[in-house]
Amino acid sequence: MRKIRIASRVAFLALAFAPAAVAAQVRMTVPPQSVPVAIQGATIHTVTDGVIENGTIVFDDGLITAIGTDVTIPAGARVVDGTGKHIYPGLVDAYSTVGISEIGAVGVSSDVNELGDFNPNVRADVAVNAESRHIGTSRSAGVLVAFSTPDGGLVSGMSSALSLEGWSWEEMSLESAAALNVNWPDPNPRRFRGFGGQGEDPPSYEEQVQQLKSFFAEARAYRDALGAGEELRTDSRYAAMVPVFDGEIPVVVAANGAAQINDAITWGLEEGIDIVIRGGADAIHVADRLVANDIPVILTSTMAAPGREYEGYDGAYSMPARLHEAGVRFAISGGSGSLYTNRLPWEAGVAVAFGLPEEEALKAVTINAAQFMGIDDRVGSLEPGKQATFLITTGTPLDMTNDIEQSYIQGREIDMMDIQKFFFEKYMTKVMQYLRMVM
Amino acid sequence: MRPRLHRTLLSGLALAISVAPALHAQQATRTQPVEGIRDNGTGFHALVNARAVVAPGQVIDDATIVVRNGMIQSVSRGGNAPAGARVWDLDGLSVYPGFIDAHADLGMDAVPEGGDVGPTHWNPQVRAWFSTTANLQDDESRRAALRSQGFGTALAVPGQGIFRGTGSVVNLGDAGVRDRVLRPDLVQSIGFQRSFQLGGAYPNSTMGTTALMRQTFMDADWYIRAWAAYESSGRAFLPPETSEALGALEPVVQSTQPVVFETTSEEEYLRAQAIAAEFGIDAWYRGSGQEYRILDVLRGHSEPLIVPLDFPDAPDVTDPEAALNASLADLRHWYLAPTSPGQLSEAGIPFAITADGLASLDDFLPNLRTAVSRGLSPDAALAALTTTPAEWLGLSRTHGTIEEGKIANLVVSEGDLFTEDATVRDVWVQGTVYGVTRPAQIDPRGTWRIASSDEWGFDAALTLEGSLNALQGRIDIAGGPAVGFDGGVIDLSSATVVTETGRLEVRFPAESIGFQGSVLLAGSIRGDDFFGWTAMPNGADPTFSGSRVEAYEGPSRGAVAMNVPDLDLPFIRPMMEYGVSSIPEQPSAVIVRNATVWTQGPQGRIEGADLLIRDGLVVEVGSNLNAPGGAVEIDGTGKHVTPGLIDPHIHSGVSSVNESGFAIVPEVRMGDVLTHNNIWMYRQLAGGLTTTMVKHGSANPIGGENVIIKLRWGALPEEFKLDTETRTVKFALGENPKRRQNRYPDTRMGTQEIIRDHFLAARDYERDWQRWEQNQEGIPPRRDLRMEAILDILNQELLISSHGYRQDEFLALVRLAEEFGFRVQTLQHGVEAYKIAPELAQSGVAAIVWSDWGAFKLEAYDATVYNARVLMEAGVVTSLHSDNSEIASRMNWEAGKLLRTGLTEEQALSTVTIQSARAIAIDDRVGSLEPGKDGDFVVWNGNPLSQFTRAEQTWLDGRRYFSLEEDAVLREQIDRERSQLIQAVLSAQGGRGNGAMRRGDSDGSK
Repeated sequence: MRKIRIASRVAFLALAFAPAAVAAQVRMTVPPQSVPVAIQGATIHTVTDGVIENGTIVFDDGLITAIGTDVTIPAGARVVDGTGKHIYPGLVDAYSTVGISEIGAVGVSSDVNELGDFNPNVRADVAVNAESRHIGTSRSAGVLVAFSTPDGGLVSGMSSALSLEGWSWEEMSLESAAALNVNWPDPNPRRFRGFGGQGEDPPSYEEQVQQLKSFFAEARAYRDALGAGEELRTDSRYAAMVPVFDGEIPVVVAANGAAQINDAITWGLEEGIDIVIRGGADAIHVADRLVANDIPVILTSTMAAPGREYEGYDGAYSMPARLHEAGVRFAISGGSGSLYTNRLPWEAGVAVAFGLPEEEALKAVTINAAQFMGIDDRVGSLEPGKQATFLITTGTPLDMTNDIEQSYIQGREIDMMDIQKFFFEKYMTKVMQYLRMVM
Repeated sequence: MRPRLHRTLLSGLALAISVAPALHAQQATRTQPVEGIRDNGTGFHALVNARAVVAPGQVIDDATIVVRNGMIQSVSRGGNAPAGARVWDLDGLSVYPGFIDAHADLGMDAVPEGGDVGPTHWNPQVRAWFSTTANLQDDESRRAALRSQGFGTALAVPGQGIFRGTGSVVNLGDAGVRDRVLRPDLVQSIGFQRSFQLGGAYPNSTMGTTALMRQTFMDADWYIRAWAAYESSGRAFLPPETSEALGALEPVVQSTQPVVFETTSEEEYLRAQAIAAEFGIDAWYRGSGQEYRILDVLRGHSEPLIVPLDFPDAPDVTDPEAALNASLADLRHWYLAPTSPGQLSEAGIPFAITADGLASLDDFLPNLRTAVSRGLSPDAALAALTTTPAEWLGLSRTHGTIEEGKIANLVVSEGDLFTEDATVRDVWVQGTVYGVTRPAQIDPRGTWRIASSDEWGFDAALTLEGSLNALQGRIDIAGGPAVGFDGGVIDLSSATVVTETGRLEVRFPAESIGFQGSVLLAGSIRGDDFFGWTAMPNGADPTFSGSRVEAYEGPSRGAVAMNVPDLDLPFIRPMMEYGVSSIPEQPSAVIVRNATVWTQGPQGRIEGADLLIRDGLVVEVGSNLNAPGGAVEIDGTGKHVTPGLIDPHIHSGVSSVNESGFAIVPEVRMGDVLTHNNIWMYRQLAGGLTTTMVKHGSANPIGGENVIIKLRWGALPEEFKLDTETRTVKFALGENPKRRQNRYPDTRMGTQEIIRDHFLAARDYERDWQRWEQNQEGIPPRRDLRMEAILDILNQELLISSHGYRQDEFLALVRLAEEFGFRVQTLQHGVEAYKIAPELAQSGVAAIVWSDWGAFKLEAYDATVYNARVLMEAGVVTSLHSDNSEIASRMNWEAGKLLRTGLTEEQALSTVTIQSARAIAIDDRVGSLEPGKDGDFVVWNGNPLSQFTRAEQTWLDGRRYFSLEEDAVLREQIDRERSQLIQAVLSAQGGRGNGAMRRGDSDGSK
């Protein structure tokens, strides 16, 4: 554990630094789990099956084999004392760009937006930079699984579920095409004509919706023709859509305004596809309909400003609590893209401050996210058979007063170093040299 | 089928009637020789039988007004027209004094191609030399449009630039330019918006504009002295520069000529007032229509205030989803703007009304009637258009009332101009009449029985009704074999009266009687007799005759009534969501009992402690304190109390952020452009924030002066300022200041050099002044606000707070300051500050950094949440900041993020309290709960650093500015008002005034 509490500079000086070790690594990737491990005596937050006090979790070959207060520890298992610690599932960020964008204002460092309005065939995982600095900082915050997601156009492409440990994207990818992303058009676009009123108007709202419907109709026809045994020339875009019509993967529809959400729901029902609303700033105004049609929402901005001046200052903070009360199923995402995936826990934590029961907030960044996106058979809760992807903490990871001490991804005890800690250790060395000189 | 409505006459034809051409030439001496035959009408008129409103509140029924040679010769009740006068029978009509527009746009806004020439001013926006008299143009259509709304006289103001030039009073007749000027170049015109046509890079912000005003007034003063020194020296040295603009401002700085400031918001009014006070300027104001928001400020002021009647369209509430986006600010403004003139009047604030600022001049009279229907008395309205502007423009002797000896400017109307849907018939300007709408020469309304006896024989009832300008009607025709159809009722698509000849023309689609095409029906009317003929599509043209069988008894001229429900909308400030009726009261004492108090001072964090505030200041933190009687008690059991949070780098609360016109602009001041209506201020209070430093943007190596404010929500902008000696100025290093194209610098190297060169320039400037003060020889130096600001920087009176990211650029600035013998106060953002923590500690530079922001640009890539920790370890005063309105509303959580870097809880909180105050040198006032400091504190429902904690109360100056209870009350009030106002918009649709709804536009109008 690299965390150091200081009361004074003198106290700090007493700590021995090992600069040589610092230079040795930034963030190391570790080998797959080779021996069974049992962590004993911890408070285990399973999410789906309650909280187990003084429990034991056993995992082998990357999967959880047992959880409980009375479990047999397999022979040869490494036993870890978890007394006084808490164990939580690794957090799942349902909407991120981790690995596919690096520096905001440096366009070439982003692989998020492909050209064109219809790109269902692009998949995020193949563009994931496994050495991205944001992977380490996300892990340090407890985010161990993230859906890296393309954007742009009307149909942006496929989100990929990533497990944030591995030498390459291939090792990290849990599900290459996890969900199709659709950007619902905006009925009230801000029209920027440029200086002097030049520039073309974008297509109207109706036109864009029509384009979207038409694309889906064509894709459906393609799939039906295939099903009828037609010999077709391959269309990569339509081929990528087949799992959508087969009900295998959900369509995540980005929609924030009340009119947008309503129209997206109408469309989803007409298409007979499984949709998930992403964004959902006005979801509370459409809550009854979301509940009636059992459509879940991925909230992208809980730690955010309310959209309108008359809304309460806590309009976004309290949205999860209000949706919960209304019976809407929801997940909470990091919302700010790759740069700040590490803020996912705060996005959920703020909802607790404003009325959401803590266990619901935890679900919103674990099992709900995994379930809506179709990977809840592998992650999102601590259950036998699921991946051993979890956090050892001093308390809930949703509150910054607690620390995350060690994380496991698929049974691997991962390196907790990240670039920010690396810079800390490097430049603390400089401060130490300075203090020795002046004191 | 709806009849198409035709106007009887086009007002554009006004001149067509020209009663007596060139009457205006009567008797006056003219320098221009007459070509051809002279034009000598009598210029002698008697207006009789009129209802004359001769002055506000004074009505003469059955008046006789005698006009001779452009002047009013007499006004009497009853009386006879003098022999020889042309008689105008105004029976049934009203006469008012001609209106005066004290701020008229008469089209003086053409910018010469290639820009102005001659020694004017270095800045193309300074056109103080421009004279509306010298440049008076003939823009007939604008004059005619103003006349059609009742105006006979106007102050023509120039329209281009910041210093726009002088306005002149002119009459709005059609005489040549030499016959129109009444008072040349009476007043200098200044606006806060630059004109893009004039070009120039600086200023491009509101604070830059204000700085330019300041410098220009000072330059005008210098210009007088410089030339005086030159002349009195016997021209012993080279002359000072020549500037037409500075020369033209001489009467302004000597207070012999007023300045009219054009304001576009109530905040601009306050800014103009401050500038006028600073320079002792005789100020007039062209208002914004938002005056109802600052009645308390305006009360007692008698400077000319000229308000527009630009009432906003209603927000779009056509469907529930659209209504979601209607803000209370917009809804309230829509509802209240028309009440503004009435409120001004009721508050006893003198004002004039202008037609300026309207999208269309045709809206003027309708909007005026709306204002009257919404509380402005007709007399006050008339005064605001006549006697009041006459007085301000120095025209009281000649204009403003209908009195013997005054100039004959009159408005003749059908109906009461202020309360009815009246029509201006004629406007008299200096004894010349200008027709606006033609009176009806015949009235064909009623029901006529018309019949034809030829082969097409028909028998029909023709009914005409409605306004004479827009007749509607129908033909009720009996069927029959001759007619060829079964009869029925035909709606007329048009019915037009050509009054001059007593003809009526009617057209309707022939389909209604079984033909293709149109049926035309025309006839001559005399009294109740009608003779006419019909043109059928088949070529038949039966004639007919008839007579009026029923007179028209339609509604009389419509009275204009209020078309919105009468709502009780209490005054709030700011006039928007969460606005309050007044700032909170300050109890004489406040005590919080039994809380965990984080003093952030030497007392540390104390559990079970009391905090005592008296008269807005902290008295003591301790156990079981005695509270004075009447103290407000807060039970702090289970609560945490901290000092009010501080964010030393924010941009909300100002109306512009960057002055990027020059690379070096320390003369601009953010304190000049504070706003009080930014919703973020309220939200920030709700997050426990009480003090912020509002910073200039990062477009310049040396930017503007920042302003430190306290979030006194409900106060006026100036009242937000923290009362402190501390002044700071924005510097910016790295990517931002070099990314502006075609402006030095383009590199970090150049950034350092341009700063250095300006430091050196300021030293030279200082020497020039010292030399002058010693020997007073030559031309006196000019005060240069930019150089003075840089001198203040060098003397450490204006503290540097520098934006930057990388270690190299900061280190260079720190060393540059040391080279000049002073210290950089703070660096801001400082994403790489941790890399030079020892250097900063040694130089005494404070660091203002983010908790975990980074990677949004290349120079922010090496961000680390441990930044603050490393800096604090090295002994650097370290604060957090947000640089973001939203983040500023949760600085406690920003500090909480530092816990994971190993800081203690009190250390973490210090980065948003005491260290923030120290960083910007205001720790004598705020930042900790120590005796004598400001009573700014927050009551939290738990550990303020926890993600699960929220603020319950925020106190500032010992006043409770936020509490969850009060917030709940405000929300209820907002919901109630929004739903009332949305209903009002819906019920007002189709009505007049108060604007139509605009669709699909949710932009605020603040």
